[in-house]
Amino acid sequence: MSDVVIQVEDLSKFYRLGTIGTGSLRQDLQRFWTTKIRGKEDPFFTLGEGEDADHNSKYLWALKDINFEVKQGEVWGIVGHNGAGKSTLLKILSRIVRPTQGVVRGKGKISSLLEVGTGFHQELTGRENIYISGYILGMKKDEIRSKFDEIVAFSGIDNFIDTPVKRYSSGMYVRLAFAVAAHLEPDILIVDEVLAVGDAEFQKKCLGKMRDVSRTEGRTIIFVSHNVHAVNNLCNKAILLQRGRLQEMGDVQYVVHKYASSTRSNNLRQVWDNQQDAPGNSMVRIKHIELIPQLKGDNKLLDIRTPFSIRFEFWNNLDNANLITGLHLFTPSGDLIFDLVSNSTVCDKGIVAGECHIPGNFLNDGTYYFSLIIIKDVSDILFYHEECITFDVEDYREEHQPFWKWEGFVRPKFPFKIEQPSKIALAEKSR
Amino acid sequence: MSEKINKDHWDWEFGSRTTWWGWSAKELWAYRNLLGRLVRRDFLLNYQQTVLGPLWILFQPILTLITYVMVFDKLVGIDTGSIPPVLFYLSGIVLWSFFSDSFSGTAFTFRENAEVFSKVYFPRLVVPLSVLSTHCMRFVMQFLLLLLAMLWYWVVEDTTYSFNAWILFVPLAIILIGCIGLSLGLIFSVLTAKYRDLANLVHLGIRMMMFLTPVIYPLAIIPENVRWLVLWNPLTSLFEVFRYAMLGSGTVDLLGLAYSVVVSLVLLLVSFMIFNKQGDKLIDVV
Repeated sequence: MSDVVIQVEDLSKFYRLGTIGTGSLRQDLQRFWTTKIRGKEDPFFTLGEGEDADHNSKYLWALKDINFEVKQGEVWGIVGHNGAGKSTLLKILSRIVRPTQGVVRGKGKISSLLEVGTGFHQELTGRENIYISGYILGMKKDEIRSKFDEIVAFSGIDNFIDTPVKRYSSGMYVRLAFAVAAHLEPDILIVDEVLAVGDAEFQKKCLGKMRDVSRTEGRTIIFVSHNVHAVNNLCNKAILLQRGRLQEMGDVQYVVHKYASSTRSNNLRQVWDNQQDAPGNSMVRIKHIELIPQLKGDNKLLDIRTPFSIRFEFWNNLDNANLITGLHLFTPSGDLIFDLVSNSTVCDKGIVAGECHIPGNFLNDGTYYFSLIIIKDVSDILFYHEECITFDVEDYREEHQPFWKWEGFVRPKFPFKIEQPSKIALAEKSR
Repeated sequence: MSEKINKDHWDWEFGSRTTWWGWSAKELWAYRNLLGRLVRRDFLLNYQQTVLGPLWILFQPILTLITYVMVFDKLVGIDTGSIPPVLFYLSGIVLWSFFSDSFSGTAFTFRENAEVFSKVYFPRLVVPLSVLSTHCMRFVMQFLLLLLAMLWYWVVEDTTYSFNAWILFVPLAIILIGCIGLSLGLIFSVLTAKYRDLANLVHLGIRMMMFLTPVIYPLAIIPENVRWLVLWNPLTSLFEVFRYAMLGSGTVDLLGLAYSVVVSLVLLLVSFMIFNKQGDKLIDVV
């Protein structure tokens, strides 16, 4: 029977936007006078009126009414979009900032890794930094002493241990910093997306180390990441935060699925029933455009393997028009990935339909959007329907593949292999 | 083993309420090694890649001493009583730099450590206490310099010292001076985090305060009718008792001393409370 080691109860965190604090000593004194001396309500900050705060753009509930319990040995992932309150939650759990309401209770020692190299000083040697960082992260003297060699070995910088870290390459710096962190032995470990730094090989080492720790030593870990794949791999429970509220909680597969479908910024389909409202002009109007993923089995996500189709229809109000349609695929930063052009057809008044098929194992994971263009007589643009479809392609990795973000707009699966000629020669010889 | 853990028993609890008395000596003690390392860090940072290294600890007061003796003794001609000017100024410099370093060293705790404070929790008090420890060690070395100078004057110049019972007050005076420096530093660390422009006030304030403390002059030369200007300052009687006990000349009265003791203890208490109460909230601000 596992025990609850962290209990989060009605946790809320409130921020005032804009100038932090009241901004001036005068207002602070005024506030002090009215609230503390005269016992009246705070003229600058009234928490009691939650309704007002919700609708006032100057205020923000970074977290609202969060409740959950973490048991011994569980590995929790916290997922959510930027600004969902993930970091705020971690900071409260790490005792760095206080909640506005609610409490966190816990058992055992808690250590937090919200950045790589906490407490590191550029001017000091690697050796000094190991000690300072270790102590700041809450290690005991004997702990550091007994693990010192292990830390140095893990980081692989033994020759530079007495060199100031300012002379390290950034990779060495990160390795040393993480080596210290990786050897922490708290009862509860809180990890932010520190894995987003460092070289790929080292990231793998770190994730591996974290996994070992949680599986073999029964350490409780709370892990925040954007990387759905890493969360899926590492955690067994997860929380989905959305605008400071706890949206989903439970089994990691379920929550990650919910998160992934919520990130589908989700314009997979646009339909107009009548021409009056439809986008377009007197010549053509869009009736419907849709992205249809061809999902297989119980896979409910459009991932890099999934083929999909774009289907569209539009009202053509021209007679005897030689029409061509084009589909432009863009990245969110506006890079055009491809410009597909259909065949040309002579159309009369009425509905024109089109379909384009995009194979699986072609796009990389990420967000993309389509724009539809309708052209008459090869070069006369009738209508450009911009950003009509927005969709996310989820990541999928084989077991042996690494966790970091795969580079590139496309990720085609072309035949590709490596071999050692000498071995082949050897095999031929022995034949 | 699980029977002992009932649902209402937790090792720690962290809620919205900040307290005046949340800090625990036990927790601080657990982080004593960090304090030691921070002191070590300060020394390494200050003196590595320097020519003279830790000797600077002694050069600073000596250079100041030369200036003060030139200006205030030779040029202005302040009457230092029976004490040789060198010893008089050196004692003042040593004590004053202990105070001003403790004050200015801790007054920016939150601003200077915002980066670390916003990433990891440890008792925030460790940082100012480590700064204070650093300055205590510097003070000890400078105090030895003073003793050395006294020895020189005793051997070479035949200066005689008549040590009296007040010598017992010397450690007290030193501790209280450190306390006042730390207290003001803690209070201002909270203020400078909130109101950035107060940083200027700290440096200016320290400089002005030096003139309201018997550092470069003995209390005795201040006319009775304006003496209150100096007497409100709790440092005044501490400086005087230090000089009287060590060098045999100074204006000492028990009432003034009692005043200093009370003020510095109250300051220390208040500053700990403010630091503790405001410390958690400041991470959202700095």
